Amino acid sequence: MNKKLPQGRDTNIPLKSIVKIKDRIFKIALTMLLINLTISVQAQQKITGIVKDASGPLAGVGVQIKGTKTSTLTDGNGKFMIAGSGTTKAVLVFSFIGYQTQEFSVAGDQTLSVTMIESTSDLNEVVVVGYSTQRKQDLTGAVSIVKAEDVKKRQATTVAESLQGLATGIRVRGGGQPGSEAQIQIRGLKNFSGTDPLYVIDGLVTSANRDFNPADIESIQILKDASAAAIYGTRAANGVIIITTKKGSEGPTKIDVSAKTTFQTIPRYLLAETSEFAALNNMAYDNANVKRQNLDLSVNTDWQDETYRTGMVQDYSISFSGGGKDNSYFISGGYFTNKGAVISTGFDRVNFRVNTKTKKGIFTIGENLAISNAKADEMSGNPIVSVVRLLPTIPVYNPANPGGYGYGDEARARTFGTNPVAIADLEDRTNENLRIRGNLFSELQILPSLKYKINVGYETSRDHYSYLRKPGNWTLNQAFDPAIINENRGESSTILIENTLSFDKDFGKHKLNVLAGQSYQRDKYAQIWGTKRNILANPSEGYYDVLDQGDEPQTGGFKNRTDLISYFGRFEYNYADKYLLNGVVRTDGVSRFGKDHKFGVFPSISGAWRISREDFFKASWIDDLKLRANYGTLGSSNIGPYDYIAFINTFPTIVLGPGQTVLPGATQVKLANPDLRWEEVTQQNYGLDAAFLKNKLTISAEYFISKTKDVLLQYPLLLSTGNDGGNPYVNGATLGNKGFEFTASYQENKNAFKYGATANLTTLRNKVLDLGYGKNRTFVGNTVTEVGQPIGMWYVLQTDGLFQTAQEVAGYKNAAGKVIQPTAQPGDIRFKDNNADGEINNSDKVVVGSPWADYEIGLNLNASYKNFSFNMDWFGSFGSTVFNGPRSVTDAFSDNSNYRAGIQPWTPQNTNTDVPRAYYGSTINSRGDTDRWLENGSFARLKYIGISYNVPEKMMKKIGFRNTQISVSGQNLITITKYTGLDPEFSNNSIFEKGFDFGAFPNLRMVSVGLQFGF
Amino acid sequence: MKKILLTLLITGTFVISSCKKSLLDQDNPNTLTQEQFWKTESDAQKGVNAIYHMFYQPGGWSRWIYFRLDLTSDEGFSKSPWIELADWTRFQYINYNFFEGNQVSYRDTYKAIFRCNQVLTYVPEIPFADQSKKAQMLAEAKFLRGLYYYYAAILWENFPIVTTIQSPTDMPQQSSLAQVWAQVERDLSEAAAALPVQWNGNDIGRPTKGAAFALLGKTYMQQRKWAQAKTAFDYLITGAGAGFYDLVDYKDNFRVENENNKESVFEIQFSDANKTAEGDGPSSNMGNNRAQFFAPRSIGWSDGQARNWMVAEFKKEKTLDGKIDPRLRYSLFYPGLEADFGDKTYGRSWQWDADEAWFRKYSRDYMRTNEDYFSQVNTRMIRFADILLMYAEASNELGQTAEAYQYVNRVRQRVNLAPLATAYPAIGNDQSLFRERLKMERALELCGESVRWADLKRWGDLETQAGVAKVAQRDPDFNNFVPGKHIRLPLPQIEVENNKDLKQNPNY
Repeated sequence: MNKKLPQGRDTNIPLKSIVKIKDRIFKIALTMLLINLTISVQAQQKITGIVKDASGPLAGVGVQIKGTKTSTLTDGNGKFMIAGSGTTKAVLVFSFIGYQTQEFSVAGDQTLSVTMIESTSDLNEVVVVGYSTQRKQDLTGAVSIVKAEDVKKRQATTVAESLQGLATGIRVRGGGQPGSEAQIQIRGLKNFSGTDPLYVIDGLVTSANRDFNPADIESIQILKDASAAAIYGTRAANGVIIITTKKGSEGPTKIDVSAKTTFQTIPRYLLAETSEFAALNNMAYDNANVKRQNLDLSVNTDWQDETYRTGMVQDYSISFSGGGKDNSYFISGGYFTNKGAVISTGFDRVNFRVNTKTKKGIFTIGENLAISNAKADEMSGNPIVSVVRLLPTIPVYNPANPGGYGYGDEARARTFGTNPVAIADLEDRTNENLRIRGNLFSELQILPSLKYKINVGYETSRDHYSYLRKPGNWTLNQAFDPAIINENRGESSTILIENTLSFDKDFGKHKLNVLAGQSYQRDKYAQIWGTKRNILANPSEGYYDVLDQGDEPQTGGFKNRTDLISYFGRFEYNYADKYLLNGVVRTDGVSRFGKDHKFGVFPSISGAWRISREDFFKASWIDDLKLRANYGTLGSSNIGPYDYIAFINTFPTIVLGPGQTVLPGATQVKLANPDLRWEEVTQQNYGLDAAFLKNKLTISAEYFISKTKDVLLQYPLLLSTGNDGGNPYVNGATLGNKGFEFTASYQENKNAFKYGATANLTTLRNKVLDLGYGKNRTFVGNTVTEVGQPIGMWYVLQTDGLFQTAQEVAGYKNAAGKVIQPTAQPGDIRFKDNNADGEINNSDKVVVGSPWADYEIGLNLNASYKNFSFNMDWFGSFGSTVFNGPRSVTDAFSDNSNYRAGIQPWTPQNTNTDVPRAYYGSTINSRGDTDRWLENGSFARLKYIGISYNVPEKMMKKIGFRNTQISVSGQNLITITKYTGLDPEFSNNSIFEKGFDFGAFPNLRMVSVGLQFGF
Repeated sequence: MKKILLTLLITGTFVISSCKKSLLDQDNPNTLTQEQFWKTESDAQKGVNAIYHMFYQPGGWSRWIYFRLDLTSDEGFSKSPWIELADWTRFQYINYNFFEGNQVSYRDTYKAIFRCNQVLTYVPEIPFADQSKKAQMLAEAKFLRGLYYYYAAILWENFPIVTTIQSPTDMPQQSSLAQVWAQVERDLSEAAAALPVQWNGNDIGRPTKGAAFALLGKTYMQQRKWAQAKTAFDYLITGAGAGFYDLVDYKDNFRVENENNKESVFEIQFSDANKTAEGDGPSSNMGNNRAQFFAPRSIGWSDGQARNWMVAEFKKEKTLDGKIDPRLRYSLFYPGLEADFGDKTYGRSWQWDADEAWFRKYSRDYMRTNEDYFSQVNTRMIRFADILLMYAEASNELGQTAEAYQYVNRVRQRVNLAPLATAYPAIGNDQSLFRERLKMERALELCGESVRWADLKRWGDLETQAGVAKVAQRDPDFNNFVPGKHIRLPLPQIEVENNKDLKQNPNY
C-alpha cells in the first residue's frame, strides 16, 4: 500500500518516528462515523487541506491522525480540518473506499493538498455476500465482482447483456432485438430447467430484467459456488447476482447527467441478386426435370434493405445525490429509447428511483424504490429467416394480392417465405410493463456487536400485451383472417419479509461474525385475456383496437401463487486474517412440492488460509497469497407452482346433435409426477488468490466440481403414454460440471501513462451422469444426450464428399457388395454407411461434435494518459461445433429460397466444389440431419472499444461543472470467426440444442457517443 | 426510540409466527385435480366427450390423417412446395420423426387412447342411477378406442397396444398386427353389444350399434375374414338395423346441409363455433382444416390434390339418360367442370394446369370463395354406400358373386347408372372380374373419402412388384414404393429410440 506520493509537499519538515501499530485500515467512511471521537486536548495543531482525485474534489474521505482516534471526513468540496496534538509531529492517514490509503507527515499548522489514487488492487473492497458484507480479502467462496463503470460503459438494455467477458465462469448471450432479454449462465448447465441465476437487488429477490436501469448500479457481485450462494439456498443453484444500487454520500447535492446516443446495424448475408438467382434456380429445376418457373426478371428486391435499417438508442439519465452526517439520498431518472434495427420494432423505458437512508442513534431506516415503465414494439415473424426465404424476383408490393404485398406465387416464385414488410405492417404486437420495486429496511444496533434488521420488500408489475391483426396476406396460399384483436393483462406481485440478527465482534485476534435470519416470500401472478374477430375499421385510419368492437369473443385467465418459507444462518470466523472459516445453512420450504417433499436443508462450509500472513512466509515479492476450499449443497425448484398435481383439463368441448350444440368435456391431458422433490447441487471449489509486484499483478484461480442430482427436467415421455401439454417434470437426471477459471490482472499507475490488462479464462465440461426413467440416451432434434457425455451432442449422418462420376456411385459398396446409394448421380453427396448395411438411414447416424466451447477467454485492456482514457474488451469462445440453420436454407436448392451469393453447385463442368448439384424438389442433397450444416463455432470478438476525454477541471469550473467526460465507443465491431452464419454468438433457448442457430437474432454492431457531466 | 424498538420486535415476532407451514399448501386455483374428478355421472359424461375432442386435433381427423389416407393412395398426391410434406405422400420417408407426416398422428392416436383408457378405468367405479347409461358410456369409449386402433393398424401395423393408464415410466411391449386386430375386434364387439340403436337430440353423433358393427365389419375385411365381416354387416343390411340406413342425395354426404342423415353410419361433428387454435386450450378450434390444405393454389395451401385419372374413369360410363356421372361433379374440381356442369371453382374459371384436379368433397366452394381452418362440414367417416360395397365384396370373396350384384346396383342406381350386369355383361359370375370392377366402383363412389389406402392394402395390390407397377400407372408416386416396406409407415424414430421394447418396422 505504500505508494510513492504523487505530489510534492514540503519535505523540510523532518519525519517523526512513530509507533508502529498493527492497524486495521479504516476504509469505510461509515465505519469512521461509528468511532467514538475522543480528542485529547493538548496544545493544538491545526491541519487543513483539500482532497481530490483525478476528476475533482472528493467528499467523505477519511482523515485520521495515525495512532490516535482523531479523525474527520472531507466535506462536499473535499476540504477538511483536523486538530493535531501540538508540538508533536503527526502522521495523517487518508483513506477512502476504492482508493489507495496514503500517509503524510505534518508538523505545525499546515495546508495540505492530497490527490487520492484509485486502488489498483481491489482486495480491500467490500463485497455483498447476501444479508451482509465481507471484505473481498476475507472471501472463502467464489465471488466475482464487476465494476459498475465496466457495465455502464457498454450500451446494453439489460444488466446480463453487459456482463459478458467481465468475469470468469459467466456465459452471456444477448437477445439483440429491442427490449429482448439476454441469457446468462454461471458455471455451466446444472439442470435442464433453465440457467437464469437468482438476482438480488438491494436485498430483494427478483429479476434484473429489461425494466431495470443499469445506470442505477453501484456494484455487482456474482456468487458462483455453493459456499457463496448457499445463503440463498434453494434458488441459488444457478448462481446469484447481487446488485446494489447507488446511495448518496455526505456532502452538498451532486447532480450527474449522462446522455448517450448509439447507432446499431445488423449483420447481413451476402445473397444472390436476380440474375444470379435465376441462373441457379433454373439449374435446380433443370436438374430435377421440372419445368422452370416463370421468374419475374424485371424485379430485383434486396429483402435485407427492405427489412433492416440503422437502429438508434438514446439513453439519458440524471441523478441527484447527497446527504448529511446521518442521512443520505439518491434520486435518479432515466429515459431509454431504441428504434430497432429491424423495421417496426422498438423499445422505450422510463425509470425513476429514490434511495434514502437515515439514522438516529442506534436506529437506521432506509428505503429503495424504483418505478419503471417499459414498452416494446415486438417483432413479428422471423425476418432473419424471411430475408433468406424470399426470392429477389418477388416485389415488395403487389396490388393483386390481398393486402397489397408481394410474396410467393405458384407460377413465378414458389416459396412460402413471409414478406417481412407485410407482416410488420399487418401485425402489431406491443408488450408493456409497469413495474414498481422497492424495499424498506430498518436496523437496530442493539449492542455495538449486535444488530437486528428487518427488510420488507414489495414488487409488482402490470403487464399488458396487445396484438392486432389486420386483414391481408404475407405468404402464399395463406388462410383468410379478418381483423383480429387479442389483449392480455397480467399482474404480478412479490412480497418479501426478512428478519436477520447479526453479531460481529473481535476477541483479540479472533473475529467472529454470526448471522441468523428468517424469510418469507410470496409470489403471485394472474392474467386475463380476450380476443375478438372482425373488429371495426376506423374510416380515417386503422382499426378501433379495443375489445368492445368485433365479434366471436374468446376470453380466458389464470392465476398462480408460490410461497416460500426460509430459515438461515451463517458464521464467519477469522483468526488474525490468516485462517478463515465460514459456514452457512439454509432451510427452505416451498409450496411447489407435494406434502412430504416441501422442505430441503442446504448447508455449506468453506475455509481459507492466507499463507502470506504466516511468519514462515518469506517471499517478499508476493504481497498476498490465499488458498480457499469449500463444499456445499444448493437446491433448485425451478418448476411451475402446481406441477406435482395431476389436473383435469376442462377445455375440450365438442359439438353434437342437429343444432351442433356445444357440450363440455374434461379429461387428464398431461401426466404428473406427484413425488417431485428438490433438485440438489453439491459443489466443491478450490481457489487461490495472489498478489505480486506490490499488488500490481493479481491472479485468481478456481477449480470446481459440481454434481446435480434429482435434476428436475421435462424428460420426453414416450408418445404411447398419450401425454400432451408438455412433458411432466421428473427428478430424473444427474449432471456433472467441472471447470477451471483463471484471472490475471496487471495495472501500472506509476506514470502519467497508466495502463493495465485483465485476462480471464474459463473452461467447463458438463457430463450427464445419469438420465431419468432408467434410460441411457435421449434424442432431441439433431442431438443425442447420453450418459457419460455432454448434453446435446451432434448426432447426424456423415457426408463424405461428392460423387464425381457414375463409376464412383456404382463402386460405392459395402462389404457384401451392395451398392450403397444406387440412385445417386454424379454431384450428389456421398454419405458414410457407418453400420455397413449397404444403405443410408437413421442407423448410420453418429456423434460428430460438441456444441460446447472448450474454453472461453475475456481480455480487458485499459490505458490512460492525462485526460484521455482508453478501454478495450475482447471475448473469445473456442472449440464448439454449431449448426448453421440459415445456410441449410440458402444452400439447399430443394425448396425455393434465395441463395448465397457466389455459391458454386457441382456441375459436370464445375466439379471442383464441395456444394452438391442443385436439385429442386428433393431433399436428397439437402437433408437437415447431416454434418453438411455443422461448422466450427469458434470466434473472437471485440465486444467493446472506447475512448473518453475528461475536460480539464479548470475549464469546467468556470461554468460551475464538477467534471465532464466525452466518450466514443463501439461494440461488436470486429469478429474473427470461420462461422458463415450471421453471428457465432447466437443464443438458443433449448438446452439440448444450444448449438443450433435457427436464424437467431444476431448481436448488433454499435457505435456510441456519450456525454457525462456533474455539478 | 423504545416505541420503535417495540414496534419492530412485535412486527418481527408477528411475521415469524405468521409463517405457518400451512402457507405451503397451495392448491391449484385454476382447475380440478385428477383426484377431485371421476366422481359423478356428469364427470363420466365429460370424460367421454373429451375423447371426441381428439377428432378436432390435427394429427387425426382435422388435418394430417387425410395426407396419409387420401394423398398416399393413388387417388391423391402432393405438389406442395413444402418438399418434406410432399415427400411423405410419395414414400420418401427420410426423417422418421417428421412431425406433420408421422409423429403428430402417432401422438394424437395415443392421446385419444389415453382418454378412452381413463373412461374405461374410472367410470366403472362411478355409481350410476341408470346402469344402461353407464354401459353406453363405456361402450362409446370402447368404440372410439377400437376406431383409433383400427386406423393405427392401417398406418403403422406394429405398435404397442395400451389399454391402461400409463405412468411416465411405462414402456409398453410391441404388438403384432394380428394382436392389434384382435384388440379392435374385442373393443368393437363389446361396444356393439351395449350401444343404442339410435341416439336422440344432443346425443346424435355418438356411435350407434350400427356404427360399431360397420367398423367391426371393416376390421374383419382388412383381415380378409370375409364371413365374419359379412355377419357384422348383416346388422345394417338385413338385420335389426336395416331400417335405419339408406342412401340419400349423393351431394348430401359432403356438405354442411343434411348432416347425420340416413346414409351416415358414423360421422365426425365439426363446428366453426371457435375460430381459434386447435389443441387443448380454452375454446379450442372444433373445425376441420382439410379444405384449407386441399383447396386449389391461391385459394388454399394446395398441399394435396386429386389424380386426374379419375376424371376419365368417371366419364367412361354415362347415366341412363346419357349424362355424365353426377358423382364427378361433387367429387372433383377438374378442367371441364364448368363446361360439363356449369360449376366454377370457388367462383373462378379453371386457372390450373390441364392435367390437374382437386378434391371437391368437403370443400365449401358452394358457400364461399375461400377456405380457412374452421370448416364446419362433418366428415362422414363411414357411410352406408361404403358398407353396401363392402358387403358385396365380402359376398364375392365368399363365392356368392350373384348375390353381391344387388348391393352394387343399389349404389349405382342412386346416380342413375344402369345395373352392373347391364353395363358390364362380361363379368357374369366371374369372381375375379367382379372384384376388379368393384375396385373401380368403390373409387368412383368413395374417392377422396379416406378409404382408398385401406382398400389397396386389403386387395393386396401393393404386395407384389407387378401389382405396384399397375397402381403406379395411375399414380407415378408408386414408383418409389418398395413392397414389404412402404405398406406401413415407419414408427417415429424417437419412439423406437426411447422405448427399448420397440423395434422399427421391417425394412426401415
